Amino acid sequence: MSYESPIRDLLVTGGKTYSDITTEITRPIENKPSKAWWLGFGLSTIVLAIWIFSTTYTMVVGLGAWGLNKTVGWAFDITNFVFWVGIGHAGTLISAVLLLFRQKWRMSINRSAEAMTIFAVICAASFILSHMGRPWVAYWPIPLPNAFGSLWVNFNSPLVWDVFAISTYFSVSLVFWYVGLIPDIATVRDRATSKARKFWYGFFAMGWNGSTKVWHRYEVISLILAAISTPLVLSVHSIVSMDFATSLVPGWHTTIFPPYFVAGAIFSGFGMVLTLLVVAREVLNYKDYITSEHLDAMCRVVMLTGTLVGLAYITEFFVAAYSGVEYEQYAFLNRAFGPYGWSYWIMMGCNLVAPQVFWSKWARTTPWFIFIMSIIVNIGMWFERFVIIVTSLHRDFLPSSWSMYTPTIVEFAILLGSFGLFFFLFFLFMKFLPSINMSELKSIVKTKHALELEKHYTELLNNNHKMPQHAHETKGDSVHGH
Amino acid sequence: MENKNKYWKGLEELNNDPKFVAAKKNEFAQGIPLEEVLTDSDGEMQSNRRDFLKYFGFSISAVALAACNNIPVKNAIPYVVKPENITPGVPNWYATTCGACSTGCSILVKTREGRPVKIEGNADSPVFKGGVCATGHASLLGLYDNERLKAPRKEANESTWDVVDADITKALSSAKNIRIVSGTITSPSTKKIISEFTAKYPSTKVVGYEAISYAALIEANKRAFGKAVVPSYNFDKAKVIVSFGADFLGTWISPVEYTKAWAKNRKAEDKKMSRHLHFESNLSLTGSNADYRFPIKPSMEGAVLLSIYNKVAVATGAPTFSVPTIEVALNSIDLTAKELLAAKGQSLVVSGSNNLDNQLLVAAINGLLGNIGTTVDLDNYSNQVSGDDANFEAFVAEMESGAVDAVIFYNTNPAYSYYNADKFKNALKKVGTRITTNSSTDETGELCNYQTPDNHYLESWNDAEPKVGYFGLTQPTISNVFNTRQVQESLLKWAGNKTDVYSYIKNNWQSSILMAGEEAWNKALHDGFYIAAPKAVSTASSAPLASDIASKVTVNYTTNKNNTEIKLYSKIGLGDGTHANNPWLQELPDPISKVCWDNYLTIGKVTADQFNLKEGDVVTLKAGKTTIEGLPVLIQPGQANSTIGLAMGYGKSKGKVASNFGNGLGKNAFSLVGFENGTFTYNTANGVSLTKTDDGYELAQTQTHHTIEGRNLLREASLDEYIKNPSAGNNDHAHIISLWEEHDSKGHKWGMAIDMNACTGCGACVVSCSAENNVPVVGRKEILNSREMHWIRIDRYYSFKNLATGKPSTKEKEYNDKNNKIDFEHVTVMHQPMMCQHCGHAPCETVCPVLATVHSSEGLNQMTYNRCVGTRYCANNCPYKVRRFNWFKYRENDQFDFHFNNDLGRMVINPDVTVRSRGVMEKCSFCVQRIQASKLKAKIENRKMVDGDVKTACQQSCPADALVFGDMNDPNSEISKLFKNERKYVLLEEYNVQPSVGYMTKIRNVNEPIAGEQKAPAKHDEKHKAAEHAHS
Repeated sequence: MSYESPIRDLLVTGGKTYSDITTEITRPIENKPSKAWWLGFGLSTIVLAIWIFSTTYTMVVGLGAWGLNKTVGWAFDITNFVFWVGIGHAGTLISAVLLLFRQKWRMSINRSAEAMTIFAVICAASFILSHMGRPWVAYWPIPLPNAFGSLWVNFNSPLVWDVFAISTYFSVSLVFWYVGLIPDIATVRDRATSKARKFWYGFFAMGWNGSTKVWHRYEVISLILAAISTPLVLSVHSIVSMDFATSLVPGWHTTIFPPYFVAGAIFSGFGMVLTLLVVAREVLNYKDYITSEHLDAMCRVVMLTGTLVGLAYITEFFVAAYSGVEYEQYAFLNRAFGPYGWSYWIMMGCNLVAPQVFWSKWARTTPWFIFIMSIIVNIGMWFERFVIIVTSLHRDFLPSSWSMYTPTIVEFAILLGSFGLFFFLFFLFMKFLPSINMSELKSIVKTKHALELEKHYTELLNNNHKMPQHAHETKGDSVHGH
Repeated sequence: MENKNKYWKGLEELNNDPKFVAAKKNEFAQGIPLEEVLTDSDGEMQSNRRDFLKYFGFSISAVALAACNNIPVKNAIPYVVKPENITPGVPNWYATTCGACSTGCSILVKTREGRPVKIEGNADSPVFKGGVCATGHASLLGLYDNERLKAPRKEANESTWDVVDADITKALSSAKNIRIVSGTITSPSTKKIISEFTAKYPSTKVVGYEAISYAALIEANKRAFGKAVVPSYNFDKAKVIVSFGADFLGTWISPVEYTKAWAKNRKAEDKKMSRHLHFESNLSLTGSNADYRFPIKPSMEGAVLLSIYNKVAVATGAPTFSVPTIEVALNSIDLTAKELLAAKGQSLVVSGSNNLDNQLLVAAINGLLGNIGTTVDLDNYSNQVSGDDANFEAFVAEMESGAVDAVIFYNTNPAYSYYNADKFKNALKKVGTRITTNSSTDETGELCNYQTPDNHYLESWNDAEPKVGYFGLTQPTISNVFNTRQVQESLLKWAGNKTDVYSYIKNNWQSSILMAGEEAWNKALHDGFYIAAPKAVSTASSAPLASDIASKVTVNYTTNKNNTEIKLYSKIGLGDGTHANNPWLQELPDPISKVCWDNYLTIGKVTADQFNLKEGDVVTLKAGKTTIEGLPVLIQPGQANSTIGLAMGYGKSKGKVASNFGNGLGKNAFSLVGFENGTFTYNTANGVSLTKTDDGYELAQTQTHHTIEGRNLLREASLDEYIKNPSAGNNDHAHIISLWEEHDSKGHKWGMAIDMNACTGCGACVVSCSAENNVPVVGRKEILNSREMHWIRIDRYYSFKNLATGKPSTKEKEYNDKNNKIDFEHVTVMHQPMMCQHCGHAPCETVCPVLATVHSSEGLNQMTYNRCVGTRYCANNCPYKVRRFNWFKYRENDQFDFHFNNDLGRMVINPDVTVRSRGVMEKCSFCVQRIQASKLKAKIENRKMVDGDVKTACQQSCPADALVFGDMNDPNSEISKLFKNERKYVLLEEYNVQPSVGYMTKIRNVNEPIAGEQKAPAKHDEKHKAAEHAHS
């Protein structure tokens, strides 16, 4: 049974019928792509080519192609890695946690958020690969039985934890996403006119027949997967944060990192979801599905998590001062006022200060403004990782080894290129898969008939205050079929 | 379905003959002798048919699998007949004499399969005591320089020795005036050969030429004591050492010998140390190690010396001279005179100046103090350096006049190093026969019509007499790499003597040095040196100073008082530029500035502000008629105000490395050398001007932050404080609580103690380590990217004085604050060698995902290159930042066209150490290959390892014996004792990474307290105990 707040606005507006939903959401799949799609896809393919070129160049020449040095062993590579992993977080949060909490507003956005998760993790994984000195042996940190005798991985190393965390996260997210897609793929299959489409969508629909039994299985597996995914939301970024927290580098060695990183990840993930959806609802004309109510809710999350990370920044400073460890103290002073101080203030401005505008309702509901804010959030979160990694490393214990890090054009190209990879995959997704979960959406849509019923009941209610309101339950039951 | 018909094999079966029944059980009537075939002769292994098939199958599949593997074919040709004394894998050591410079240190050369791979000091030598300098180590690479001439050349074309010899003999026999221009010759046999040559060609004269001349020193000793020699200096006998710009720990005369002697007298444990006072303009290595350092302008040196002379003269009743009052900070003249007088006969004054007046004053002061015969030995003098500047000037004039018709250059390159190179080149053109014996085509060789390349000293027979009575032998350690011929042989041939050099030297030694037969020769050859009975040391007082000396030094002082002066210096490693083509030396950071691959103007902060210059500016320097464009500026703390330093030995036009592939590497500073009063001068105040250009230039420094930021990582105390409390300055120890299980520490546990009191920062260990461990050279660009690969580095930290508070200032924020009055001229320097600390709880080990860096049972932190995937997490987590990543493939890569990029250069590779591939991490291994070799040796000899069996490459080369390596589990080892010393501390103790490298507090022999108030040790102990109680 679900409870729905009576004062909440409609989650799907425009008086859509079930058939409206199906036709509108399958429209990009069944029709020739629009010019806007071609433009976006073409652009991201070009940027993807930059990524392929710059990554290949690095692998051929060696990591010397980057600006790293004896003191700063990680910079853009791990910054980008953590950035992309963080982006991925919103997907799982929206699909799993909000599912468990029965937040139905997530239904219009969870599909694309999950897709974003998967593509972001792919981008992140590309940095794990390319940051390695010898990427051709990148499989070595995986505990595979091997021909080298007792050679094994180091379970003490946070990088091995990363391997487990990221691969689990990726596989669970992929399965979750795919399972959620099955009814919709089946819808596309059923509507397909060409043989090829019938075959492929039929193949991926895995024989979905819409029977009560498969719906039941579907509901159960969704819940189970949601339950598995939920701890992953916390674990993945906690473990990523341990790459830093378990080291002894001043500025990294901080117990606050796991919660702080999770908050940051959700912050940046929602930022990215906002970026994508504000554009998508415009381009694909999904304004009735992704309403300003959705944007509002997400902006609130952004503001909350932004403030949380801001609190963490300030706490770190306090702890460094309170610890009495001169190396820690120096690391944080250097972070804010050292040679990379500008990046610290970008981070503070973008992550702590800027999201406070979302106290205003106007800011939360104005798409163009949200778009700008979401970009700012993403810039801020990228800089957060840059600040943590570079400013801590470049000046640690022995001043003799202090050095500066300057990125090379190759690193910029890879950073830019990773967005190409991401959007390349995302545009393909928008073209070939229903980017909004149709079947779930139908469970919350209020059709004309339902609205009339509701109006009728409301009138009755106004006439008789004792009249209970259960229009939704009635409708919900009919859709779910049990 | 059974067949009912039976067929018998024979009647035996029908009859059920028991014999047949038994035999029927065997498949083969005769049986197969497999057992015998497969059974070991001992009969231990039992095999049967199935086993045979297994072996058979295995062999087939093994062969098949092995054949699948696509391994590139590399041809290693085995010895067909094993040469005597060469066992593959076992090194041979030869005792010989270093030929990198004329100092002639006794060394050992390690050869593997016939090729020299490492140079080490000969510890048996009582003079050099096993030290080798950076240049000496690096000279090994000179052998494998593929730019050496591969054959003699006639008019720049390759020729044969027969042709060249015939030509030269013909030319010489018709020549009326032959000159041999040579650097310092310490070899008695070479001198004899030259005299034979002179006998054959009586018009021959030898002209001595040294780019960095000691002519004034020799002349001063001639005038003062009647002996035209460079004395032997006994730094170990001096209680007070006063140096005027003599960089005796770095570049002056015989630095290894002097460092050994100097360090011997500066052991804190002896509770007495020599006091070292240093006057200089540029901050030199020696100055950085002095107890008191007084920056002065070069033109002041005479006046300061005279002032000190006067004070000493007053006390000893000698005549004084009038001298203007000089403003030198810190009351230095009074202090120096007082110290010197307190140590009469046990003091030593030296000067690096090539100004005759200054050297006369030094001689006079030493004479008055009674140092002649104690710290200054004029009888067992040194041959290591020379200089006859006036003679060379005359020679150039002679050439100009066309009087010289044949000239042979030996071990000298005046077309590069003579101050007026154009004049020299034009004059040389007037000489008909121009022969050079230099091993590559250098600036002089370019102008010669015959190039008869000398062997590398590692290919030669030779001898040396660096000091009177101390003879060294040089023997070949490899047969000639190219078609070269050593100079001695060429001269003999041209003189018509057909004796080979080996026999010549042997005869010479047996007849005039050893005065003995085969056995003595063999012993000398085995030892690498021979010591004749020393001459009796005589005391002497100097001849009275000429009366005009006062006016000369006064004029020099007063006229230049307000001028900016240039002081030329030679860098450690590069020296006069002879070895400029050696990538190891170019990549060796300057011990003070930490700059590689360049020379630059060193300017003090005050002077730089006056000229409105900042670091990285490029200026045009004018001095007199000389203009040098494009000189980068380095703000050098400790540089005397109104002085500018510039290193010689750069700006070569020849040599791939020396000229940076023709793009130029530094600027040639020799054009600033002057010629005054019969000597070359290396400083000038003649109309010096600096013009700032719009260009900028970044210098490649391996260290870019120069102070310790107030961190408790450098510990020091004054000698007085140390005597009162041996743990002075070292009381701040962390109380450690550990969550970790301790490593099992049975057997050996290797560690190293570094005495910061002894380490001078000379950098010999850095080159030694590079040679031992195949450390790649990465070049200027990569140093700029902070990607040097050295496994050992020497961190150099400055400490400034805040004049307002009188306290030392090491925080960037503080000393860059214009409101603080900071003294940038008087700077305290600390050198701290840093290599992998082999932590017991190594932070790098826990973070490696693939266990590529692990702990050995002997306390070593080991790197498994093959397992490394290159995440660099270990380097990030290393608090000492000693890990080095292979950003590129550094061998067979045209981007890094140093010695790893050609077959000849790669011959220097130590076969015991892996050459690392791209993308893996590397770092100091504590020379694990040496530990293993020593363990094997002990095992073969069926004994336990003893302390001193293993010496790491850095330790072996250290001229100051600052590094001690050993087994910490051996209670009697030197390191165990040092680790119990109150001076020992480890860096970042509070992080409980448990480094295996301990540092010893630096003790300075100064009057002022350094460590300051100490915590009462008793209270500290109590606290400690209480804490322990609480935890137990």
